[in-house]
Amino acid sequence: MEEHDLKLTLSSSPHLRMPATVSHAMRDVIIALMPVTLVSIFLFRYYAVFLIAVCLVTAAFTEVLFRKILNKPVTLYDGSALLTGLFVAMLFAPATAWWTAALATFIGVGFAKELMGGLGWNRFNPALFGRLTVIMIYPLFYYVTEAFAPLRPYFGPIDAVTQGTPLAQMIQGVNLPPLSQLFFAYPGGSLSETSALALLVGGVFLIARKHITWHTPVAIIGTVAIMALILGESPLYHIIAGGVMIGAFFMATDWVTSPITPKGKVIFGVAIGILLMLFRVPLAPTEGMAFSILIMNFFVPLIDRKTKRPKFGEVYEKQFQTLLKPKAAAYEVDR
Amino acid sequence: MTVKTFNRGVFLPHYKKLSEKIPIKDISLPDEVVIPLHQHTGAPCHAVVKVGDIVKTGQVIGECDAYVSALTHASIDGTVVAIEPRPYFTGSVVESIVIKVASQQAEPKWVERDIEKLTVDEIKAAVRGAGIVGMGGAAFPTQVKLSPPKEIDAVIINACECEPYLTCDHRLMIEEADAMVEGAKLIARTVGAPRIVLGVEANKPDGIEKLQEIIKGNSSIEIVILDVKYPQGAEKQLIKATMDREVPPGKLPFDVGVVVQNVATAIAVYEACRFNKPLYERVLTVTGDAVTNPGNYRVRIGTSIGHIIEQCGGIKGSSYVKDDLDTSEVRYPVASLAHLVGKIVVGGPMTGWAQNRLDVPIVKGTSGILVFSPDFVAKTDYMACVRCTKCVEHCPMFLYPNYIGVYSETGRHELAAEWGALDCFECGVCVYVCPSNRPIVQFVRETKKNRAAQVAK
Repeated sequence: MEEHDLKLTLSSSPHLRMPATVSHAMRDVIIALMPVTLVSIFLFRYYAVFLIAVCLVTAAFTEVLFRKILNKPVTLYDGSALLTGLFVAMLFAPATAWWTAALATFIGVGFAKELMGGLGWNRFNPALFGRLTVIMIYPLFYYVTEAFAPLRPYFGPIDAVTQGTPLAQMIQGVNLPPLSQLFFAYPGGSLSETSALALLVGGVFLIARKHITWHTPVAIIGTVAIMALILGESPLYHIIAGGVMIGAFFMATDWVTSPITPKGKVIFGVAIGILLMLFRVPLAPTEGMAFSILIMNFFVPLIDRKTKRPKFGEVYEKQFQTLLKPKAAAYEVDR
Repeated sequence: MTVKTFNRGVFLPHYKKLSEKIPIKDISLPDEVVIPLHQHTGAPCHAVVKVGDIVKTGQVIGECDAYVSALTHASIDGTVVAIEPRPYFTGSVVESIVIKVASQQAEPKWVERDIEKLTVDEIKAAVRGAGIVGMGGAAFPTQVKLSPPKEIDAVIINACECEPYLTCDHRLMIEEADAMVEGAKLIARTVGAPRIVLGVEANKPDGIEKLQEIIKGNSSIEIVILDVKYPQGAEKQLIKATMDREVPPGKLPFDVGVVVQNVATAIAVYEACRFNKPLYERVLTVTGDAVTNPGNYRVRIGTSIGHIIEQCGGIKGSSYVKDDLDTSEVRYPVASLAHLVGKIVVGGPMTGWAQNRLDVPIVKGTSGILVFSPDFVAKTDYMACVRCTKCVEHCPMFLYPNYIGVYSETGRHELAAEWGALDCFECGVCVYVCPSNRPIVQFVRETKKNRAAQVAK
């Protein structure tokens, strides 16, 4: 037997592969985030650059640390950790203390992703999980924050609107910035809230590259609009201000944590839209999008199971149940 | 030109230019042939010859009484030197009859019969006697398909050849078009079908032209031109595309009144009826970037892939020859191969089997031998499923390869079956599109094996 061994590659069929890989997709998502990243850097200058840098470095560091501890190969090249880092940065306001963003990245990449089994096995969107965890445990390290305060870098006066996000202003009914300014570029809220247009461009790019489908974004935005009308609010402000755009195009379309069927994606999107408006209008004006998406992440396996499509031939079988039994000539195709 | 097709599937690069214009050639006979007794779907044959017997080309050497089985014939004049388990292209070993080829080969004599006068039973007997099986790859005994338990209103000839690289059916369609159409008519007569549909993919315009010429004026035969999409040649997808009928899960084509036969099978049926010629040779494509002379070759069943590759000029850039013709054992200079060849596949690139030795024989269902250089070998390491749904979007059976893969990988086979693993026919589309490079077909096979074992318990 030995002499016959040619040491050729033995593998299961098929023997052809499409060149696309996960890292290509991650690269495309990072490209899709570039417009809004650039707008935020243009508006907030070094504050945005510093925040993004902190999150990227923390993400890479966390991934390497956890992979080493878990004795797994380091997979930085797949880009998913860096992408999570960039996402976390996008979710914070430029004046955020850097250790808050770093902690959110650490929790997102380390706990929500790596401890869940790594990319593919995480149930919750890592960036949103990190962001919300930090918000919820914020009171715990209030004093730490005080102690660390001198460590914050100062890059000159920040050109951001400091009295809260446009969304909060809208809910409170004060000083609404004009809609067009919100849509194109407005220095308020988190980095990702600076420009709805930039997010839209990125989202359309992802749809055009077939990484995501239109179902979830359209379902979320449509539901938000309808809910706003029902609740007597301005649909356009609700869509353009706050996290709806980044949530609809980037967070709720995350492959790993969203449903796989078109029908499921629509259900997922509609549910997020409803939850979001319930959070926003009667409850707190912030973080509604993050909470809605994380809550719906939990239901993804259920949605998948309930929206399973019929197999090839199953519908036909039901349709032609009577025809399949008797003589075949009974259903000759008319052509 | 309007083309028809099925839903989903994937557009693959064709890679057919290497061999599609090269006419079918015979190759020299090997020194010995290894004829497996179980090269078809169904029950295996048992040998009806002994070691030392002298056999003639076309003589029956393996038989089986089971309904779903096919006779095995000697593919050459020679002496039986062994009846023993030999390596098979799937990687297992199969009881095989080894025939040492005689130096003098008698010219086979064929009696010509008038096929118009044959009765249905005579056709079936001829097909069974010739040991014909589906030659597209599944190797299902043809006489079983010719006795459908339901009324059939159409025979579809599968001339798609949707697998990249393979061109043997394409060449047969051009060079033996008359035999193919006559075979199709015989099949239609046997199953009582009033019409014949020739399903051809649009990338074979010369084949389509040739067929149009032949069927001119015959209203019962029609050519359906199909989109060049994989897996267009899969039985269920072909029926969907040509007839707009769907074979339900677990059902067979005759359930929707259709019989599908491959080009080479139709020709074999014609030859069996016309000349009483058993299926002891077939045409296959030898191609790939590492073989010197890619082309389409007529070879005897049981010829080793090593002999065939050698006859095609061998491996590009190697001094690849058999070193000792006198010993019964066939040796190959292994060391000179490893750096020139990355992978050898028996079958098509999407459903074929990777080989690690050159003494495996080709069988009735072998449609190609692919020789790839190391650069061409797809990497085999894979990542976790990221749920991108590419596989779900492309699965021609409307299954969920992502869930099947994850559940099979983690040993939860009953859940994998729930998501459709048992309805998978292993076309490989999901693996082709997977950005995580997951070997989903392998996972499906594991689940099928596990489920079969559970049922057996």
